[in-house]
Amino acid sequence: MKLKFSTTMIAGISLLFVACEYDNFEAPKSVLSGKVMHEGNPVNVRNNGTELQLWQDGFALREPIPVFINQDGAFSAVVFDGEYKLSRKGNAPWLPQASDTIAVTVRGNTQVEVPVTPYYTVTNTSFDRSANTVTGQFIVNRVVANSNVEFVRLYLGKTVLTDQAQHDLNIEGNANGLVYGQPVTISGEIPAGLRNLEFIFARIGVKSSLTGEYNYSPVQRIALK
Amino acid sequence: MRLLLKKIYVVIAMASCLGMSSCNHDDWFDRESKSLITDGQLWNDPKLLNSLLANYYNRLPQLHGVFNTGGMTELDDAMWSGHRDGNWRNDFQFGDDYGRYWDYGLIRDINLSLENIDEFSTELTDIQKRQYRAELRFIRAFVYFEMVKRMGGVPIVTTQLIYDFSGDPTPLQIPRAKEHEVYDFIYQELEAIQGDLEENKASKTRANRYTILALQSRAMLYAASLAKYNNQLASPITTPGGEVGIPASMSTDYYRKSLAASKEIINGPFQLYNENADKGANFYDMLNKKTGSEVIFAKDFVTSLKVHRFAYDNIVKSLTEDNESSSTISPSLSFVESFDYLDGAKGTLRDRDESGNYIPYANLTDIFANKDARLYGTVIYPGSTFKGRTVSVQAGVALWDNGSYQFNVAPQLGQQLEDELGEEYAGGLWTGFDGPQIDAQDVSNTGFYIRKFVSDAPAASTRGTSAANWWPWFRLGEIYLNAAEAAFELEQADARGYINTLRERAGFPANSIATLTMDIIRNERRVELAFEDHRFFDLKRWRIAHLVWDGSETDPNAVVNGLYPYRVIRPGHADNGKYIYQRVRPNRFRRARFFRLANYYSSIDQTVLNNNPKIVRNPFQ
Repeated sequence: MKLKFSTTMIAGISLLFVACEYDNFEAPKSVLSGKVMHEGNPVNVRNNGTELQLWQDGFALREPIPVFINQDGAFSAVVFDGEYKLSRKGNAPWLPQASDTIAVTVRGNTQVEVPVTPYYTVTNTSFDRSANTVTGQFIVNRVVANSNVEFVRLYLGKTVLTDQAQHDLNIEGNANGLVYGQPVTISGEIPAGLRNLEFIFARIGVKSSLTGEYNYSPVQRIALK
Repeated sequence: MRLLLKKIYVVIAMASCLGMSSCNHDDWFDRESKSLITDGQLWNDPKLLNSLLANYYNRLPQLHGVFNTGGMTELDDAMWSGHRDGNWRNDFQFGDDYGRYWDYGLIRDINLSLENIDEFSTELTDIQKRQYRAELRFIRAFVYFEMVKRMGGVPIVTTQLIYDFSGDPTPLQIPRAKEHEVYDFIYQELEAIQGDLEENKASKTRANRYTILALQSRAMLYAASLAKYNNQLASPITTPGGEVGIPASMSTDYYRKSLAASKEIINGPFQLYNENADKGANFYDMLNKKTGSEVIFAKDFVTSLKVHRFAYDNIVKSLTEDNESSSTISPSLSFVESFDYLDGAKGTLRDRDESGNYIPYANLTDIFANKDARLYGTVIYPGSTFKGRTVSVQAGVALWDNGSYQFNVAPQLGQQLEDELGEEYAGGLWTGFDGPQIDAQDVSNTGFYIRKFVSDAPAASTRGTSAANWWPWFRLGEIYLNAAEAAFELEQADARGYINTLRERAGFPANSIATLTMDIIRNERRVELAFEDHRFFDLKRWRIAHLVWDGSETDPNAVVNGLYPYRVIRPGHADNGKYIYQRVRPNRFRRARFFRLANYYSSIDQTVLNNNPKIVRNPFQ
């Protein structure tokens, strides 16, 4: 009886060490990475805002792989080698694309550029701090001809993730008086809660009336001490 | 071994006995099943049909309604202050699939029933058949309305879809109808069954003529405002096939249809509930009591038969009758401030004077004096009463110290101050039994509790008994607001009258509004219909949800804030013992409400798209 019991035990335990092929395939290794670009410059977006999607043909059921975009326009996804379709989702700070799909072949680590047409670009951005006031100077360039500026804003925040949704200070500039291609300034008082920090972050956002998302300048770090 | 042999003998003996018996009577086998109901029985027995209909009525869809405590804490009117496992409701973003509703299971059940009545109901009278068919079609229209308001145009299916096993599923693949076609379908369906519900005219829980008009009034108003306000966006939300987006030219006709239906109800047998001289209590009674003729159509509950736990979820902390839970919905300060003052002033609470100093009040309730009585009927605010007891809401004490107040909060609810500051402060409450506390569960985090819908019946907040107050799907107050909005959009002069009548019931003087604006109508809907599953859809159809819930942590409309009362300790000064109020953002509220353009129409599930290639995706999906 004792023998039987230990045999059963050994048989049972050894089962734990075997497995069938189906549940043992390798995890994907290839990194697909790239940037959302406009005329050679990355397009800045809101953190956790707009998304890209990867689709793969050849299966009975389709399910997109969401690809999140960093606020500086970079993205990456770890996938299997293969043929993919990269598509740009709506509700983005750039024009909806008539044909929104980019064919991508992933073989090992692959780079891809996603060209977009943002409504605006924010260039020549600089931030000056004097005492507790931050002044942002920048130039707004219109890219899409029929677009109108709905809002232009200066954001200050504790973290590098500073945008329309996440910020400690949000100063609305004069959208009606804005002239494209000409320097614009917006100033704001650093909130009391941020004044004792080593540094804060500043950013400019411009929203077109044609979309729900803002075009942003790169985030800039401002040393306070 | 011997025992086993014995058993075998017994079995053989018994089996051979069975073999020798036989049946003389075939009807012994031919008895009626006691566990199965045949189609012939079901579709000819009014009792069975009623219970079938009860099942369908019970499945009428809602998003933040029918005592859905959690759903009510996902907007700007309130936050979640219950158990910590619900914390995500204070820290989430509306996903692309938020509010997704695609219930073709229920549609199929109804279509099947309609066909079966035609096929099997031979013993019912024509009147009965017409009535059942009309009720089914009403429920179907209600379900389609819920789908179109969340998803945009959906496939209109009115018959059973049966696969013929030919290998070709394309006959079952029905494309989405245009958004306006679904609204038109709802209107036509309701028109067609108008005369068939005479038998139900006294019922408030089964569809009758006025229920149908109420759904028309609401659905047509939605269609009209979608047609108008979507096209006022800088870039309207549409699909090329019209599955989303109603042409602006259709709005006037929809407003007319809505107004006509509303007027017929207002001229009908209903009365705004006005049975209690205390206007605040009257507003609470209106929904808590099942008397009066305000409610047009309700989902009823009965003690010991069908109950809900809204009172268990939301009873004020110190009035809890059960262990665990209470105080789950904490109404927001911005909601409380949306109630105007009775003299017509904006509802912003006067907590500080122009130079920024706190305004002290002798009594806790004084700051809420002369407010719209609906505030009392909807919210339990500091110093207010519930079930005859004054709630104990006091965040702490404000100690005057060198020219400014030091706010001091007790570590535990209900602590007396003498423990901390010695006997000279004996008798003074430090922090109330009902909080508020900034970071605790099962106690208000904003300083406010919900009164609306919380039953005051004995033992209603216990899980053993639970609450049995009903849920109003439609009530006259909404119809007045629908009429006012439609009339206003049609530039008709009587729009003002509807709003003023409704405001009189809330304690305002007659003709309290001289010049009506859309903003006033919108605010009236917020305060009158709060927590009744309207606000999310109202803001969507006016296309202002993305402006109100803009995700900005500094925007008081997107953030749920609280108002904490403190008792002033300043011996020898006139303000000693009075109360001052501090605006706070509760620690548990983590992320501002953020509604994106993609949320105007929920995304369609990928499996639906996989199964039916004719379905086009929603914009931004």
